[in-house]
Amino acid sequence: MYLSRQLRQLPRSRLTRHIASGNGTHYTTAARPAAEHIEIPKRIERSPTDLLQALASTVGRDSTAPHYKYHDDPFLIPMSNIAKRTYALSKEAGRKAANWIKEEHRELFMHQEAQPPIEKFAPSMVYTEESEVDASSLQLLISQGEVTDAVLVYNLLEQKGIEVTDALKQSLLELVCFYNNQEPLPEEYIEERWFMQNNRRRERHGKTWKDGELAEKLYAAIEPKTPQSYAALIRGMAKYLQCERAYALLQEANEKRIQLDTNTYNAIIQIVSFIKDTAELRWQMCTSLLNQMAEQQLQPNLGTLNAVLECISTFGNFKLARSSALKVLPEFKQLGVTPSLGSYYYLLIIFCRERAPVSHVIIDILNDIAGKEFKVEHPKDTFFFATAMDVCRNHLHDKALAKRVDDLLHTGNNYDLIGDSFKEGIYYRNYLALLCQTESIEDFMQFYDMLVPNIYIPEPGIMEEILRAIEINGAVEHVPRIWSDMVIFDHTHRESLLLYVLRIMVDNRPNPELPAQQQLPKQCAKVAMDMYNKIEESVKRIKKVSFTGQMLGDILTLLVRDNSSFDQAVEVFNYIDKQQHRIPGTPADSALFEYIEATVLNKSPSQALLALQYAVENNMETSALAKRIHEGFTLSEVHLAKLKSLVGEGFINK
Amino acid sequence: MNFLKKVTLQVLPKAEAHLSLGNNSAIHTSSVCCRVQSGRYRITVKRDRPLTYEMANPPHFIGHRKSWNSWNTSTLKDALRPSQTAIEDVFIRKFITGTWHALVCSEIIIKRQHNTIRIAAIIRQAIAQRKMYFLIGYTEELLSYWMQCPVTLEFQTVADKKDVVFKYI
Repeated sequence: MYLSRQLRQLPRSRLTRHIASGNGTHYTTAARPAAEHIEIPKRIERSPTDLLQALASTVGRDSTAPHYKYHDDPFLIPMSNIAKRTYALSKEAGRKAANWIKEEHRELFMHQEAQPPIEKFAPSMVYTEESEVDASSLQLLISQGEVTDAVLVYNLLEQKGIEVTDALKQSLLELVCFYNNQEPLPEEYIEERWFMQNNRRRERHGKTWKDGELAEKLYAAIEPKTPQSYAALIRGMAKYLQCERAYALLQEANEKRIQLDTNTYNAIIQIVSFIKDTAELRWQMCTSLLNQMAEQQLQPNLGTLNAVLECISTFGNFKLARSSALKVLPEFKQLGVTPSLGSYYYLLIIFCRERAPVSHVIIDILNDIAGKEFKVEHPKDTFFFATAMDVCRNHLHDKALAKRVDDLLHTGNNYDLIGDSFKEGIYYRNYLALLCQTESIEDFMQFYDMLVPNIYIPEPGIMEEILRAIEINGAVEHVPRIWSDMVIFDHTHRESLLLYVLRIMVDNRPNPELPAQQQLPKQCAKVAMDMYNKIEESVKRIKKVSFTGQMLGDILTLLVRDNSSFDQAVEVFNYIDKQQHRIPGTPADSALFEYIEATVLNKSPSQALLALQYAVENNMETSALAKRIHEGFTLSEVHLAKLKSLVGEGFINK
Repeated sequence: MNFLKKVTLQVLPKAEAHLSLGNNSAIHTSSVCCRVQSGRYRITVKRDRPLTYEMANPPHFIGHRKSWNSWNTSTLKDALRPSQTAIEDVFIRKFITGTWHALVCSEIIIKRQHNTIRIAAIIRQAIAQRKMYFLIGYTEELLSYWMQCPVTLEFQTVADKKDVVFKYI
């Protein structure tokens, strides 16, 4: 339709233009593009996954939905940190079980459906003592990174007396040194990696290198020693913290005038802190190693920079650390080494220490790298974001900086560098804690809505911070929402949190004139009743929460503030009255007073007298209560007699 | 597919023996029941047989009130692997009803797109979530070893078996 309308207008417009141009040049709308030179762009080589990556870049993380590894069904969506971990790991355990069945009943899985065949779907080869092996199978196993199988095959070859070339021995040595002759966690089990944090930190502490085992035998078998075999063994020893021997080997290689490579030196610089004790000695050794590299004309790389920075970060003397870091950086800049996120991580831990003056190095770093996309280049790259957020919160306490760090995290594929669930948890813990201390409560709740619960679930400590922010702002209208979240996240067995919630609701009496707070007394009463039921239930659980008088008093106050829940208030008070020997402490005076007010409103003098009796028995302030009862009700003879017997006759005459 | 191979290995000698009895084809004299019986359910005396929506609609409503249980292109003209696909679908159905024992309360829908297989069903919430996640991981992985292509489960859960009952006959 549009086109046909345009077509009709075409001759007319041409005509007018023809007349207007006057000098009779015959150009039309159609003629003009022909004059332009069309340049056909060169074909761009695409990898097979480029299209998929382009498609993937159009969708980001949806904060309203759980992570896609969880099944999309309300029943199966995880609601607490424990559930997130359990569900993801259960799924992976199922995958492992299937893998086990495939390996165990290998004869059932020998068929070939896929064209071309996919190796991962077929059972893996099994090597036993009887297997027919030759050098090519060893080669294959090494290229696949199968450590145990490769070692087995190598031993078989040795037994049968089949000659293994030095090149093959060298690649086996490299494999064994890299994994320390241990089967690594298979690559496809990503959830296990994601949730594994404690094991990895423990690894760092002690020597795990297997002395005198296969790696060293292989090394001994390679004659004459090549620079590569030295390099492999030194790097393996350095990685698994056999520091003294690694350094000795380096010196031996130097004495024999064997030319080593940069990465081997990097490995030694990384473990300088394990060899020397004081900062001065470490720095001395570091510089001498760097000088050796310079003598051998080795070009330092990113690994060298990060290794030097790691060494500096272990200095106890922060002045020396800062000055040496400032010396190192320009030198490496001159050498054309671009720092990775790992280098910035080291800078942060060098400059921003607890017992050192405040440093604003993170601002310079962010000015440098804001808006850049990073790829993983160094193992420590994943430590940057958690540390940067930690610095923003604990060192500088700066909201604007935190937001810049968050922007950087969400640039391009930088989120891949968040590390694992543990570091992600630290990151968001610091971010949320900082925001709830610095943002206004309304703005903070927006962030809260965005992050919780799909991206991050607050731990009890952060929940307390959030409640503190609510208390400071007196924003009691958010409490019902937070309470329902606390129930979902399973925080209800923390007594401190329960008391905090109650205190906020009791201290901030809702103002019924504000439209936003009209529903509040009712909601608060609901929360209080919910809490009462939860605590009563918890008796059966392992993690018990026991009532205190204070807590019950607060619950009582909240219940009587809502006119419609007086019956429940009576129930709670009867509980207090009956269990008074078991419950430590008594409700606050104000709680009882408000309860008696409510009995006056609801015209139940016997309840009021029960409350008074409770107050008398527990040595609380009674005269105000008795006075209120006397004024509020027209008491019958029986009630009056009871009142007199409780507090004496004195108050009537006042 | 070696599942098929095994079936044929056992069945084939018998079938051959059967054929060699005499090469005369017999006339089938009994009435054709499949067209009136298959996919239809008989009314019980007490009218207490629960039917899901799928079961309540006889086969001639496929494409009108209900849909197909297997979605693939193997039966188009010149399409590949029609028989293998059918056998595989039977295998998937048996595997899932067996693995998710007494939990499946609907038909199992199998959708094939390119090289992936998506399997949908309705599951009862009778076991804990983490056990369900274990079974999801196990089923997906084992079926993809078997079919040698990515398999995705798209299950939904219901709290009670009665939630899927459309009517009683």
